[in-house]
Amino acid sequence: MASQTVEEGESDDGPIAQRAQEAIRNPGDAYQFLFYVVTAFFLVTTLFPFYWLLVLALTPGDRMTDIGLLPNGFNPASFVEMFQRLPFHVYMFNSIVIALTTTVIVLLVASFAGYAFGRLQFRGKTALLLVLLAISYFPPAAFIIPLFQFFTGNVEILTLPAVGTIESPNWFNTPGAMVTPFSALFLPLSIFILTTFYSQIPDGLEDAARVEGATRIGALFRVIIPLSAPGVATAGVLTFIGVYNEFFISFLMTDGQAQNWAPIVWGVVNYQGQYQAFYNLMAAASIVGVLPVVILVVMAQERIVSGLTAGALKE
Amino acid sequence: MGNVTLEHVTKRYADVTAVDDMNLDIADGEFVTLVGPSGCGKSTTLETMAGLTIPSEGTITIAGEDVTTRPPKDRDIAMVFQNIALFPHMDVHDNMSFGLRLRDFPGEEIDRRVERAAEILQIEDLVDRMPDELSGGQRQRVAIGRAIVREPAVFLMDEPLANLDAKLRVHMRTELQRLHKELDTTIIYVTHDQAEAMTMSDRIAVMNEGHLQQIAPPLVCYDQPANLFVAGFIGSPSMNFVEGRVESGEIATPGFDIAFDPGQVPELVAGDDVTVGVRPEDVYPAENAGELANPTRPIRARTDVLEPMGDQIFVYLVLRGEDASDAEAATTEAASARGADELLMSVEPDSDLAGDEDIEVVLDRRKIHVFDTETGDAVCHDILRSEAMGGEPAGPAGGS
Repeated sequence: MASQTVEEGESDDGPIAQRAQEAIRNPGDAYQFLFYVVTAFFLVTTLFPFYWLLVLALTPGDRMTDIGLLPNGFNPASFVEMFQRLPFHVYMFNSIVIALTTTVIVLLVASFAGYAFGRLQFRGKTALLLVLLAISYFPPAAFIIPLFQFFTGNVEILTLPAVGTIESPNWFNTPGAMVTPFSALFLPLSIFILTTFYSQIPDGLEDAARVEGATRIGALFRVIIPLSAPGVATAGVLTFIGVYNEFFISFLMTDGQAQNWAPIVWGVVNYQGQYQAFYNLMAAASIVGVLPVVILVVMAQERIVSGLTAGALKE
Repeated sequence: MGNVTLEHVTKRYADVTAVDDMNLDIADGEFVTLVGPSGCGKSTTLETMAGLTIPSEGTITIAGEDVTTRPPKDRDIAMVFQNIALFPHMDVHDNMSFGLRLRDFPGEEIDRRVERAAEILQIEDLVDRMPDELSGGQRQRVAIGRAIVREPAVFLMDEPLANLDAKLRVHMRTELQRLHKELDTTIIYVTHDQAEAMTMSDRIAVMNEGHLQQIAPPLVCYDQPANLFVAGFIGSPSMNFVEGRVESGEIATPGFDIAFDPGQVPELVAGDDVTVGVRPEDVYPAENAGELANPTRPIRARTDVLEPMGDQIFVYLVLRGEDASDAEAATTEAASARGADELLMSVEPDSDLAGDEDIEVVLDRRKIHVFDTETGDAVCHDILRSEAMGGEPAGPAGGS
């Protein structure tokens, strides 16, 4: 950073000017240096919040004021206490189940859609893709109220003279109320990712699979999807993380009780009581809550890298 | 059981007709090659047989069953693709057994068949490898292996050798013939390479612009092409064509005349516009004409470019026209029909011909093909009938 800014101002033949001359002669070195600067910047901005969570989590609950860069004391017991005070593992389980279910649904539906958009020719394809794109840009805030109304059984869908009134399902406090809107919300992104990947699989491979005895769907699952593993992994990881991190709908569709499928958001928020807020426990819970995503990303990264090399071997 | 019949098969796309009223009848165990320039509809025809494309019209019968609209998996066929199309995420064994596993064959049966196919194709050592660890030729063998383990009624091969280098291609050509002998299964083979078509097939189906031009054994296509297209497509280098007109007792072209006996060849009607075709190997320098039973009159020509191929020399000749008696030929018409005044001749490599030399050449009259210029259809292939073998009929030829 320094050498770049200073080199314009200084014109003496001092050490700085010499460094500047050197950088001009070897721009590669300067780029390398800048690369480290930028990397360090990103690392600090992304990792500092986690460090701060750790500082909070380790600080004993009665010393939560005037915290500097180091924790006021050392109290790892908060990682145990958080489980004693609330069944946080249940909240995590709820979140993981909801995220996994959504991911499975999204990958399945997006695979069929991606196959159609990526490999078939049909009228109105571009228009449909544009509609999909438009839907994916709807702000969630615009439809959480109607969605809440819908999933609490307050919407009359239609009235049939013989059967009576059909109402929307009352899914409040069930995973369905979260999985359904999440699936819809995260589908467009996955469809776009998978469309791109599936369209790049050579036609010959699908033809070969079909001649060998597979149906179109069989060819999709046995050949196209395995060969698009990096794309499927990317779409899956993005969906999982997106759902796991989602706030609005997760917060809205349950009453916050662990046994009522409330996700992590509620778990963290519930450490705040009417008279007391356990910030150290909230911080500890946040760190624990992040762990599944960290593990997933580390694993998926390996999968994505291996998938990419496998992809490179294609014809 | 492996007979294939196409009746009036037509495939239309939005703006083109890829295959137009195709009729084929292929017997069990036959090796038939569909050949033609790119875009002639040969691959589309094969895809309709495979079920990868559903024809707009017509019916396809395989082994006595109408399979026109059946999906590929229900047709008892196997296919080898131009781009080989091995599944990159499976090893050789899994690639070869893919179809058997889909059909729920028992494990031992699968292993037995894969082993046998690997043995036939001499790839026993490769069954644990991944496709990317194989050379081009090995991949092609695996692709063929994937087809033969299924023991289908019909093999469809879409330019399977096109992506191999020239040497390997020739080698695989003989391997395929050996395989065909061993398996005795119907093979329908698509190629744009007429050498592959000539060497391997029982019959060749020549296609152009979606139409079947001729289906016949290779040498029949070579010796008796049904039309100008087949004549020009089969044979390398291709046949010489000279446009002319039938007159009484001779075919007059700008560069030379060819005498015939109207009594022997009633198909040639005076006044018809015809195209004379003669293969380069049926053009001889006049000094060698003695070996020939039925030469034409000497044709005056000038050698242009020589292409020594090693086993023969291709000589490009520019015709100088006949003597003044044949005035119309010399200038105007010859110049207007560019190409009509050129001939390609192939001669023995020990020939002492040089470029830019005035020589005289003769054509073998038994090997002259005559086509209707307008329709392109063959009129006759031998302007001497067998009974006329005695010698040149009386006429202008005597004058030379």
